[in-house]
Amino acid sequence: MIVEERDELIDRAARALAALPPADPLAVMQIVSLARTRRGTRHPLAARFAGWMRTPSFSLASATMFAAATLVIGFVSGNAVERAASGSPASATRAVELMPAADVGAAARAVAVPMVLDARSATTVSVVGDFNNWDATATPMQRFGGDGPWTATVLAKPGRHVYAFMVDGVLTADPRAPKARDVDYGGEASVLMVTKP
Amino acid sequence: MTMRSTAAYVAAAMLVLAASASAQDARLSLIRDDATRDAVRAQLRSATSRGLPADPFMSKALEGVAKKASTKSIRAAMAALEKRMRAAHAALAPSSDVDELAAGADALSVGVPEKALKQLRATAPGRSISVELGVLTELVARGVPVKQATKAVLDLMARGATGVQLTALGRDVQGDVAAGLKPDVALDLRGRNVLSLLPPPPTVSNVNVRPR
Repeated sequence: MIVEERDELIDRAARALAALPPADPLAVMQIVSLARTRRGTRHPLAARFAGWMRTPSFSLASATMFAAATLVIGFVSGNAVERAASGSPASATRAVELMPAADVGAAARAVAVPMVLDARSATTVSVVGDFNNWDATATPMQRFGGDGPWTATVLAKPGRHVYAFMVDGVLTADPRAPKARDVDYGGEASVLMVTKP
Repeated sequence: MTMRSTAAYVAAAMLVLAASASAQDARLSLIRDDATRDAVRAQLRSATSRGLPADPFMSKALEGVAKKASTKSIRAAMAALEKRMRAAHAALAPSSDVDELAAGADALSVGVPEKALKQLRATAPGRSISVELGVLTELVARGVPVKQATKAVLDLMARGATGVQLTALGRDVQGDVAAGLKPDVALDLRGRNVLSLLPPPPTVSNVNVRPR
C-alpha cells in the first residue's frame, strides 16, 4: 500500500467514526461492571487453569501425573485404533492419519510433489510408496475433469524414493518415471528424486 | 536445570513416546494376517534393540503387504534391510538421521560399498547427505561404474554443488542412458557440464593471501 492510499483510508475511517453518536458513559460503566462480575463468578477449576496459563509452573508430582496420564491415553488410544482398524477399511483410513509428534518436524521438511497418471478405464487409483508407508488408503488420486488423468499430491522428504500406483487394486509402475529393480521383493518400482525447493 | 524443567522434559518425552507407540500400533494394524504381523513385530523389536529406527522397517513390511508378498518374503526382506541399515549406521556415524540411514541402506542395496558412504560422510560431516546418497544410488542403478559414480559425486560435493544440481545430473544421465548413451560416457559429459558451472576450488595460495 502506498502512502497516498493509506492517508485516504485514514481520512475515510475518521469521517466514519465522526458520524457515529457519542458513547454513553453510563453504558460503558455497565459493560465493564458486567465483565468484572462474570470474571469473578468463573468456575474455580477454570479460574485456576486460567491462572496457570498466565504464570505456568510445574511441580514434580504434577509433571509425573501428567506423564502417566499421557502414557495411558496414548496406549489406550493406540489399542483402540488397532481394534477399530481391524474392523473396517474406513477405520483403517482414520488410523493412518495419526502422526506421531516426532514426525511433525519431518513433515515440515517434506516437499509437495504432484503425481499424475493417465488411466482412463480405472475406477480407483492411489499412490503408494515409502513416503506414505505403501498404504493404499493414504493418498487416493482424484480424476481431473470427467475422464481426465488421475492426480494427487504427495509429501516426500528430500532424497530418493520408490513408489507405484495402485490401480483398481493392482500395483502399476509410473510409465513416466525411471524404474528401479526391487532387490527385496522382486519386480520393479518407479523412482522419485526430491530436492529442497 | 531445575527440578521443574526436568519434570517438564520427562513429561514431553513420555508424550512423544506414547504418540509414537500408538502410531506404530496403528500401522501394524494395517497388516491383516496375524502371522505376518507377529513376524513384523518381532523384526521391529530386533531392529530397535540394536538402536535402529523403526520407520524404514515398518515401511518395508507394508511394502511387502502392498505387493502381496508372503510372510516368509517379508521376514527375509526385513532381515536384509536390518543388515544394510546396520552397515549404513556404522558407515555414516555419528549421524543417526533416519532419512540418511535409509538412503545409505538403499545405496548399499545397489552395490555401493560402505567405503563410499564413509567418504561422503567425511566430505559433509555436519549436514544431511540423503540427496547425495540418492543420486549416487541412481547413478549406480543406471549402470555407471561404482568408482566413477562415487568420485563424481564426491567431486561435485567438494565443489559445493547443490542438491538441485546433483539431482539434475542424475536425471540427465538417466535420460542419456535411456537414449542409448553408455552410462560412464553420459556421467563424464554431464559431470563436466555441472563442474563448469561451479566456482573454482580454493587453492592454498589464494586462501592465505590477505588483501593489503
